[in-house]
Amino acid sequence: MKCWTRRQFGCLAGATCTGALLARTARSQVRARVVVIGGGVGGATAAKYLALSSKTLDVTLVEPKGRYTTCFFSNLYLAGLRSFESLTHGYETLAQRYGVNIVHDTVTAIDPVAKNVSLESGARLSYDRIVLAPGIAFKAGAIDGYDDAAMQIMPHAWTAGPQTRLLRQQLETMADGGVFVLVAPPDPFRCPPGPYERAALIAYYFKQYKPRSKILIVDAKDSFFAQDVFEDGWNRHYPGMIEWLPAQFTGGVKAVDVKGRLVKTAGDTFKADVANVIPAQEAGRLAHEAHLVDQSGWCPIDPLTFESKLQPGIHVIGDAAKAGNMAKSAFASNSQAKVCAFAILAALTGSDRFAPHLFNTCYTLLASDDAVTSAISYSADAETIKVNDFFLSKVGDNAETRREAVREADGWYAAFTHDIFG
Amino acid sequence: MPGQSTSIVPAASEHRQSAFSMHKIVALVTAMSLAICVAERSFAADNDQGAQLAATCAACHRLDGHDRGIPSIIGLSEEQFVVVMRAFKSGERSGPIMRTVVRSLSDEEIAILARYFASRGKEGERR
Repeated sequence: MKCWTRRQFGCLAGATCTGALLARTARSQVRARVVVIGGGVGGATAAKYLALSSKTLDVTLVEPKGRYTTCFFSNLYLAGLRSFESLTHGYETLAQRYGVNIVHDTVTAIDPVAKNVSLESGARLSYDRIVLAPGIAFKAGAIDGYDDAAMQIMPHAWTAGPQTRLLRQQLETMADGGVFVLVAPPDPFRCPPGPYERAALIAYYFKQYKPRSKILIVDAKDSFFAQDVFEDGWNRHYPGMIEWLPAQFTGGVKAVDVKGRLVKTAGDTFKADVANVIPAQEAGRLAHEAHLVDQSGWCPIDPLTFESKLQPGIHVIGDAAKAGNMAKSAFASNSQAKVCAFAILAALTGSDRFAPHLFNTCYTLLASDDAVTSAISYSADAETIKVNDFFLSKVGDNAETRREAVREADGWYAAFTHDIFG
Repeated sequence: MPGQSTSIVPAASEHRQSAFSMHKIVALVTAMSLAICVAERSFAADNDQGAQLAATCAACHRLDGHDRGIPSIIGLSEEQFVVVMRAFKSGERSGPIMRTVVRSLSDEEIAILARYFASRGKEGERR
């Protein structure tokens, strides 16, 4: 075996092994406490792997909602290819099978000196480590007129749940021949292929039920992830239905007018029948309140442990983390959660540390029988996280490969959600 | 679990105290400690690393035998597992996602995973 830890090397060098073993046992008699905040993909995965990997840790997951709706695959619900219920998952198994304490409450404050977390109910939780997985927030004022009230008329549907249902209802009630306007956000944002998959899958729905309708994407960017693959898919499946406007043509979205369902750019105004506004993003609320965010709007972390560079003892994972070149995705959050959980285990229980592995894979549907895949492996060092290896489906893949990817995608969703919640 | 053999060394050496001189006891204790240390590394740490690497696999593959959409990797022998991984790595077996994953694993990590999955068999979820 080549990766001896320092402690085990000490055994061979002559220190008594029994001493080392006793120290480890004594340490494990005090149950170290980890509080995981946020029950999305990152938080739930971290809680599960912390709890299942050590019987000596006290793991608490704090999440206000009783059930979680996955943002990934929610475009399939918009297309009518999946039920809303199939996207919804509970925390029962984490509690029953792995012994995670589930607390349905909202964190109001983190005190990093006293090392405790205050909850809305008035309760306080002491911690040795925190794993914070707050997800995203929308940048206030990024689009003039787009506030909390406007979201109820022009949904973002970029955190799944009631927003996703609202968008689906609006699409269902829209008349044939209507215009659906999708406002796509600037980088970096959650799920880089997401807005473009959404356009494809809403076109899939329109093609069947409202074939005279149009989709207009007003983008804050001049290019997007896998652009050639998406444009090829749009043209093959929905010719003439989807139009994409880059920022260089419009100057980007400046304002919305909720009453008139208007989307205003520097030079034009677009009238929508249904508007889906996905604004610019930053780390979730609690990350800001706990002083974990830098000027970029995201949380700088140690790439090997995901411990905050600004607040020791607090680890930040998922979309909120500033994780080098890693995409902001559910898969990446799950991968980060495991690396983070194993680093915390090593710190609190003295377990061995091994080289971390970070991945992102993605299944994106263009139609019910056409999915593209991507896979990225990353290498992490003390400074940053870089792309190590990259695969993406290509224009011109044979149809059977794309059909097979749809079947795989379905199996992947089942396995992945089982890995998080099961 | 780490630390479970803590009591073996002192207990065994106490029983033999009358028959051994002190330096022999010290030598014996040291030798046994070393043996336990080495054994502990090969079982516990190897298993821990296997479990951590397997956590990566679990993001796509069910580890309880279900294989809808994505094939199960439970129940492969150590040899079968290594052969399949090498075939993905070389491109002999197509599967771009698996190729990307396997290319990031060292031969030693593949061997540890192979042992981990082979030892689990189809026992279901014991992670």
